[in-house]
Amino acid sequence: MSALAYALVAFVLATAIATALFRDVLSTIVVFGAYSLGMAILYTYLLAPDVAMTEAAIGAGVTTVLLLLTIARTTRPSPDQLFERLDVPAVVAVGAFLLVAGTQVLPEMWAVGDPTAPVWSNAEVSQYYIQNTYADTHAQNAVTAVLAAYRGFDTFGEAVVVFAAGVAVLLVLKREVFV
Amino acid sequence: MTAELLDDVLLTAAALFVVLAIAMFYRAVAGPTTQDRVLAVNVLGTNTVVILVLLAAALDEPWVLDIALIYALLNFLMAVAISKFTVERGGVL
Repeated sequence: MSALAYALVAFVLATAIATALFRDVLSTIVVFGAYSLGMAILYTYLLAPDVAMTEAAIGAGVTTVLLLLTIARTTRPSPDQLFERLDVPAVVAVGAFLLVAGTQVLPEMWAVGDPTAPVWSNAEVSQYYIQNTYADTHAQNAVTAVLAAYRGFDTFGEAVVVFAAGVAVLLVLKREVFV
Repeated sequence: MTAELLDDVLLTAAALFVVLAIAMFYRAVAGPTTQDRVLAVNVLGTNTVVILVLLAAALDEPWVLDIALIYALLNFLMAVAISKFTVERGGVL
């Protein structure tokens, strides 16, 4: 891991903890925007363009507006203190879990992008996609090829489901547009 | 050789910008008002665009510029939404 990766992980951790601990909902939403910025850079650094682009569009645009729309319909008590009070047993439990995961599990895992790492589920299938994706679909990114070409109808079905959910929300709210 | 050195310099610059982002995040946590937080996250967004462009040059991956463009386009959205939310409670866009 380079210095950039360490700095990024530190930033994402700091934003995540702040998001969890703020008592004021509006502050949480703002700080959550910073978390999404850090995650997008992390995804970019790990060479996952589609995930980074989704994080950019959803995190910077949609999430904030949706969450604001939600709390606009609620009452917000003025917070008595800035941060949530920490539950000591919960902190100890989560800390122990992280300690075990960090010292026992992480060293056993393969490095990111290691070509000799074994494939868990089905090595032959993975190798087929790695070797034949470009010839089959002419898409340079294997993940994009699987989403948009190999299982294109499935993705289309998912889009239909999301569209139907949006229409259903509009019907329930008795409105014609979202904003 | 010089190209590798240049990549290292660009990556180090990106790392320094991330350290800077942690410093900016202090303002987002400390506040004290929501406006301070919004402004801090807005600066963080601009900072992110710079980091992404540095990454695009260092990794030699031009698609990263697309993500930087998306951020440059959408960065103002949160500031506008929260400003409107604060001024006229209930309105967002």
